[in-house]
Amino acid sequence: MNFREVFQHMRVMTFKELIQFRRDIFLLIVVVYAFSADIYVAGSGIEMELKQAALTVADYDQSPASRDLIYSFRQPQFKYQGMEMNADHAMDLLDAGKTMLYLEIPADFNEALLSGKPTQVQLFVDTSNSVLGSLATSYAAQIVAGFGIQKAMERLSVGGAMGGGLPMVNSAHRVWFNPNGSDRWFVPINEMITMITMLSIMLPAAAMVREKERGTVEQLLVSPLTPLEIMLPKVLAMTFVILIGVTLAVFGVLGPVFEIPFRGNMLLFYVLTAIYVFSTAGFGLAISTVVNNLAQVGLMVIMLLSPMLLLSGAFVPPEAMPTALGYLILLSPMHHYIEIVMGIFLKGIGLDVLWPSVMGLLLVGTGVFAFGTWRFRRQFG
Amino acid sequence: MDSAPVVRIRGLVKNYKDVHAVRGLDLDVPRGSLFGLIGSDGAGKSSTMKTVAGVMGYDHGTVEVFGQAIDSEAAAERIKLRLGFMPQGLGQNLYPDLSIEENIDFFARLRLVKADDLVERKEKLLRMTRLDKFRDRAMKNLSGGMKQKLGLVCTLIHEPELIILDEPTTGVDPVSRRDFWAILAELLAEKGISALVSTAYMDEASRFHHAALMHHGRILAHGEIEELIHLQPGTVVSVAVQPQLEALNRLRSRFEQVVALGNFLRVFVPAQDASADEVVKDVLSGLEVSEVQTDTPELEDIYVGLLESSGDGQAVRDLPSPPEGTVIHLDPDRPVIEAKNLVRDFGAFRAVDHVSFDVRPGEIFGLLGANGAGKTTVIKMLTGILRPSDGAGSVAGADMRHSGSTIKKRIGYMSQAFSLYQDLTVVENIRLYAGIYAVPPKEVEPRLRWIVDLAGLEGMEGALTGSLPMGLRQRLALGCALVHRPPILFLDEPTSGVDPMGRREFWDVLFRLSRQEEVGLLVTTHYMVEAEYCDRIALMHAGKVVAYDSPAGLKSDVEGRFGQLLEVRCETPYKAQNVLRSGGFDDATLHGRRVQVLAPDAEKVKTQVKSLLERAGIPVHDIRRLPLTMENVFVQNVLDLEHKAGMAA
Repeated sequence: MNFREVFQHMRVMTFKELIQFRRDIFLLIVVVYAFSADIYVAGSGIEMELKQAALTVADYDQSPASRDLIYSFRQPQFKYQGMEMNADHAMDLLDAGKTMLYLEIPADFNEALLSGKPTQVQLFVDTSNSVLGSLATSYAAQIVAGFGIQKAMERLSVGGAMGGGLPMVNSAHRVWFNPNGSDRWFVPINEMITMITMLSIMLPAAAMVREKERGTVEQLLVSPLTPLEIMLPKVLAMTFVILIGVTLAVFGVLGPVFEIPFRGNMLLFYVLTAIYVFSTAGFGLAISTVVNNLAQVGLMVIMLLSPMLLLSGAFVPPEAMPTALGYLILLSPMHHYIEIVMGIFLKGIGLDVLWPSVMGLLLVGTGVFAFGTWRFRRQFG
Repeated sequence: MDSAPVVRIRGLVKNYKDVHAVRGLDLDVPRGSLFGLIGSDGAGKSSTMKTVAGVMGYDHGTVEVFGQAIDSEAAAERIKLRLGFMPQGLGQNLYPDLSIEENIDFFARLRLVKADDLVERKEKLLRMTRLDKFRDRAMKNLSGGMKQKLGLVCTLIHEPELIILDEPTTGVDPVSRRDFWAILAELLAEKGISALVSTAYMDEASRFHHAALMHHGRILAHGEIEELIHLQPGTVVSVAVQPQLEALNRLRSRFEQVVALGNFLRVFVPAQDASADEVVKDVLSGLEVSEVQTDTPELEDIYVGLLESSGDGQAVRDLPSPPEGTVIHLDPDRPVIEAKNLVRDFGAFRAVDHVSFDVRPGEIFGLLGANGAGKTTVIKMLTGILRPSDGAGSVAGADMRHSGSTIKKRIGYMSQAFSLYQDLTVVENIRLYAGIYAVPPKEVEPRLRWIVDLAGLEGMEGALTGSLPMGLRQRLALGCALVHRPPILFLDEPTSGVDPMGRREFWDVLFRLSRQEEVGLLVTTHYMVEAEYCDRIALMHAGKVVAYDSPAGLKSDVEGRFGQLLEVRCETPYKAQNVLRSGGFDDATLHGRRVQVLAPDAEKVKTQVKSLLERAGIPVHDIRRLPLTMENVFVQNVLDLEHKAGMAA
């Protein structure tokens, strides 16, 4: 093994990949988009919060109590849209998506409350968007229940002097790491991680498949380059490209647009990101051994990415998964990486706390990369 | 019979954004003619054919088919039932997963052929193309030649009056090519249809009745083949002379068309008073001339001559001498490549079967064969990519079985695709290869200048490789393969897609490399004409080397075993072919409007042929001897082998 030669090979090949990347307008646009506009759109567009849900009411009572209840459905979660006494018309509104909730208050509502008898209201909720639907349902249930308790309290305090004597528990929350509990922090970071994952699979695979498509791989194979010297420069160059993209995302979007504070150690973040990208590239190399063109790379990446995302714990926490899946998630490099990024970014913690995730990333990443290398070398065997 | 042309084109212009594919083209295809569009890739053949077929619009001019102007989609639809179009590429219009019969049925239904007609036509066409035995085989499992025959059947199933075939023989082996032309000639003669056929093979011109020579979207010349040959009157003189380089330079200074073909130098001498061979000998006085032959020129000579007189020709350049520096030295007395009984099996399939040959320093060695003959597998074994199943060999003085990495450092390799990075500039490509081949950093600059000089790329150093014309890209690829000054160069189909002019220039560089720098060259090609450029040839078929000698040696061997080639010019050539076949000349074949026969005893056969034809009432104009081509050599050798295999079975 001649180190001068190996170094020369690595240098010219890595440099070549970077020049090619710079001249490939299409890939350039994809990468810039992925690390800027895509994160912005994801972060500001997708909000899993109930806002301005349209409420239509059939108030058969028309009493102070019924009006009280209606006004308890407040902005910003709900928006009172008006009366619709005809039940058929109201159903049409629900079908057409023009209202999300339909509340029916019976004619004896006020009377029942005054006389201390139990009464009911009926609520129809459009839950075709299950997240928003269940949010609306539970908020509405809370509001109605709160209204009921309030009315009961009023009656009790009017009836006897035991007002202060009722047992009650008040919870006082302190929300840490994301004080506003806003999706505007979690979603964009998560999106950035998804983009890093996607591109670290796609870019090396694309670089390799391009050689296949244009027939240049044949030339490389008859050259003194070893399979590793063909493969590693692509991964190195693409890792470099993705780190630049990450810089764009962190300092161009996450910070200034979403005002996400970076609490941890920047160097640690970059080193671990590089390791993550480098090892995830193993999937890309494995893909490149079975496909023949860029379109197939795209399809494979899509196919691979959805289980990776599902198994990453980004959407469903591992604790909520069936036991077997909960263990399987430990094999997902993305899961460890998410723990690391959220930890460094939002909690500002270091290796002392993150070491299990870092170990996990290193172990799983080495496995993935070894798998990719094995596939890659085998195809030329 | 209607004498109006079936296709009439005037001032056709077709642009693809900034690319001018066709620039002002006039063309008449006479009814009943087998009309050839001859030119290299990018000459505008496909664009012209697509406009005639009505599948593509055009920018200016008029196109009339069957007297109807094709100026709208509706007009194109009206003529579509009367013509058949087969696009470029093996089996491009066919469905890979359907069987032969299903493909034919599909096209017939698409063209609303009646069920009774379909059965009759299908059986006849399948019989003619000898595909009837394979009717249930899926198209994807057919050989290239069979795919093209099936494509032809599908194009003909609705009995069109005009068929348009875009490069039907490209990538098809010579034997299947010969079959294809025979079938086409038969169909044309029987059905009286017209055909517009394009080809990149200059030597296929003799198959046509009329031809147009195309270059850069224009027609250089068109007319009957005989007329075309007379456009540039002259004689071709081939001389064997030593020292070759000196002779080549002298002839170059006197004549425009001089090419080195192995041991021979081939000169096109324009018609003049003195006899051509005397003029050539005069130029070479003082050198050791051992053999002189004169021949009539071929269409390629005319084509190149026309290009040169139209100013599109390029000056031939001397090979710049390489810079001093690290060179790989080998024992000059040992062959640079030695293959001994190489075998390679893929499962039960034997791709390469006991192949032996050697390549000496300073020699141009040709590995010839159709796709699938095993050429690529041999090269892969010799370059250390693939392990042989059996046999031995050495390349550049290293054992190919366990010194793969040593071999890779010592050889140069240029592939079919001119494997350059199109998105890198000329200089970036050269530097990349210099790095890959570990050229010492101090020597990179002088070599870079040498390669730029060699490839004629001065002033284009910063241009993206993808923007260069094919010919320059090819020479840059050659330069990159030479960056570490290897003593051996492998060239895998190095001239595909390059025009005849560029091909000649390229072979000139190869010739000088072999003679000046003593580089051993192993070239594979499927252009049979290019075999003539080689010093020695190994002809491969079905994994075996079936013939191994110099081109002249191979030709005289075939001549000895099968006879000389005679060309008969007569009336009703198709009928004449059939008369000759039934009269005992089984190998009589139709070439355009002439019939070719192999004759073991030329004089005797001449009288036999004459009397056979005259008894059948066919007037004979002329019978003359033709030199054998490498294509004849290939076809005869392969047919002979298949015949013997058939006898054994």
